[in-house]
Amino acid sequence: MDLVKVEEILFIATVISYLVSGGFYIWYLITRSEKSLRVGTMLLFLGLMAHTLALILRWVSSGHAPMANLYESLSLFSWGIVLFFLIAQRFYPVQAAGALVVPTAFLVTSVAGVFYVGPEPLVPALQSYWLWIHVTIAMLSYGLFALAFGAGFFYVVQEYLLKKNYRNVQYAFVLLLSVLGLVLGLWGGSKLANPAKVMDPVTQIASNVYAASDYLMIAGGGVAGLVIGLALGILAGKGASKPGFAKRLPSLDVLDEVSYRGVAFGFPLLTIGIITGAIWADQAWGTWWSWDPKETWSLITWLFYGGYLHTRLTMGWRGRHSAVIAVIGLVMVLITYLGVNLFLTGLHSYTPAG
Amino acid sequence: MSTEKAAVIADSPDPDKAIFGKSTSDFLILAITAVTMLVLDVVLSIAYYRSATAPDLRWLLALIDIVVVLTAYGALGGRVNRTLLSMKLALTLLFVILILAVLGTIIPQGETVLTSNWPKNPLYGLYTHAGLFDMYRSRWFLALLYLLGFNLSFCIFDRLPTAMRRALRPRTDVKELFIRKCPASAVLDGAGERGFEISKEILSGHRYHLRKGPPDMAMAEKGRWSGLASICFHLSFLFIGLGAIIAGTLGFSERLEVPDGMTAPIPHTDLRVTNHQFKMDTEPVKEGGRVVGYRPSLYSSDLELFQNGQSLESKTITVNDPMGYSSSNLLVTLLISNKVILHQSSYYRSPSGGYVSVLEATYKPGKSLVYVGFGLMMAGVCGIYFPHRRIWLKKGDSGELIMGGRSHRSKVTFQNEFERIVAELRLTLGKQEAK
Repeated sequence: MDLVKVEEILFIATVISYLVSGGFYIWYLITRSEKSLRVGTMLLFLGLMAHTLALILRWVSSGHAPMANLYESLSLFSWGIVLFFLIAQRFYPVQAAGALVVPTAFLVTSVAGVFYVGPEPLVPALQSYWLWIHVTIAMLSYGLFALAFGAGFFYVVQEYLLKKNYRNVQYAFVLLLSVLGLVLGLWGGSKLANPAKVMDPVTQIASNVYAASDYLMIAGGGVAGLVIGLALGILAGKGASKPGFAKRLPSLDVLDEVSYRGVAFGFPLLTIGIITGAIWADQAWGTWWSWDPKETWSLITWLFYGGYLHTRLTMGWRGRHSAVIAVIGLVMVLITYLGVNLFLTGLHSYTPAG
Repeated sequence: MSTEKAAVIADSPDPDKAIFGKSTSDFLILAITAVTMLVLDVVLSIAYYRSATAPDLRWLLALIDIVVVLTAYGALGGRVNRTLLSMKLALTLLFVILILAVLGTIIPQGETVLTSNWPKNPLYGLYTHAGLFDMYRSRWFLALLYLLGFNLSFCIFDRLPTAMRRALRPRTDVKELFIRKCPASAVLDGAGERGFEISKEILSGHRYHLRKGPPDMAMAEKGRWSGLASICFHLSFLFIGLGAIIAGTLGFSERLEVPDGMTAPIPHTDLRVTNHQFKMDTEPVKEGGRVVGYRPSLYSSDLELFQNGQSLESKTITVNDPMGYSSSNLLVTLLISNKVILHQSSYYRSPSGGYVSVLEATYKPGKSLVYVGFGLMMAGVCGIYFPHRRIWLKKGDSGELIMGGRSHRSKVTFQNEFERIVAELRLTLGKQEAK
């Protein structure tokens, strides 16, 4: 059996174990069953082992670090999430967060699976040591912004819980999951509508390439995603709208500080990520900035978090205001990381050249 | 009380008066400057837009635009200083630029607009003139960036003295009330002289640096350069912006297509480049185990650079390994980056057979400024990890020890650290008491 087949099997095993483990973590949050936590952790650990092996096999068969296309990048990202979480769980009491982190890792890994491509050598433009420096730093910053998002979201939830404002707790979950569902649905719809040109639907809408039936398909996907998101949001909101749930979340101060820390460590990393990208571009293309969509969106994200830091450090915003900014910030990060590649065209597209 | 307050206000320098006062002569100067700049702006604009061969001077026009707007604003009674110093303006500008940048990623920019359906739009001509399809280089976008740059410079130079003072001259002598009113504070009754000495030791243990002050006081701090780090970070924008303007105005970036074995002149210079050989390695593209084609795995060009028929340098370049040439020595090159660089951009197969290597010849003076900016930015941004934390100690009149501390960032973490220090102090004092 060749390496590629083994890698595929390991990857599928990873996705399944993350899914099942996520279920156990959610069960643990609801019932506080220690047994459920142990099984979930064990499964997550086994999944991580399989994932690590899959990544190593990919590295061996392609001859480069697994960060050259969307499948490899997302797979590596979810691997990082799980690794960090397991380490954090070993040393800090963060088991409850697993109910959020592990399903997220599952979602990221399965999206990676959607973009599965076989191992390929690096295209000439990427054959540089800057690749792993630039990509690793950028992905670390994304991860930290995701942490800031998570803490920020639960800050908002916790604040409403403490005020016994359960209606707003509901709204928070419904808003989050329905937006997620809507975007995933729209994207899925555009994939069905025009599979040949799926990589840049926004560019195509702006250039008027779609036919009416395509728009119908996209809208249909969006509606389906929205409905599923709404249903999940209502379910999750119902689950969280209990006085007991507030005690399972960290205190407002801790959530605020964690969210801030995420930005405070993510921002310098994003800065260095952008600068290393600029230096690399200068070396390879002779220009450090070309207003390519990925560059522009990273700048937008950077300016946005710069705004966060200014409102916080100079104007003294804290608490809910900062939390909401951190939550919106992840939208920018997701557009920079995925949206640009999935919806727009540019130099950073993960498609192989030619 | 009110007269006292008024006297204090009269004594303190009015921030509005720092550069532009509000006297009649100031208004006159501002008005004359505004009108002169406006005339200059209009004349230059007409000259620029009528000439087909003028170099890209939009950066200059945008700069003058902003000066006109600011001086006119001042002449009409606006407080230029206060406006340029405000964080609100900075955040508003950030937000506006952010939105425009988003639009620029959705609306096709540059040549891609020609392949879209935009040219069919009845307002296409108007949009083109408005710079919608070349947004990031358009006059108004640059003007906004300049305004942000002015805003930034004002804020930097406004804060520099305070940051310098804070870093270089620690406030060792403060009033008791100041210490008591610190965000983190504690009073230890009966700690006395012993408690004072022990607390200094404990603070050193927490890697605080003790500063000398009056005998009944002590001050300990860490991360005192943090304020300057922030200045460094913001200064980096000015370096990068200036470098980009210099590179964009004095530099060039030219596409060269050199077939195998041929020589081509490099525009704007007296250099010529010969492409001795273009080489390409390929690898098979497999689909379901079947080879469906080949794609390049690596391509390179054997280049040799000539000046007046004399060979200067030769190198085999690839995409990530370009070739640079400078006529001056290393130090000068580092300072003004007067280097012509040849990048391997792409290639194509010529109709007559053989490959044509596509090179990008770039010359970017000002690049050194940009790199200094990158350095400042990375150094400055790391300052965020080291907030400036200060703790003051004072021996009270009745043997108590008053402690107060403040941090200009990460306040919760500091609060925790402060509480740990106080707890440690109490524990040590208690232990000594027990002995």
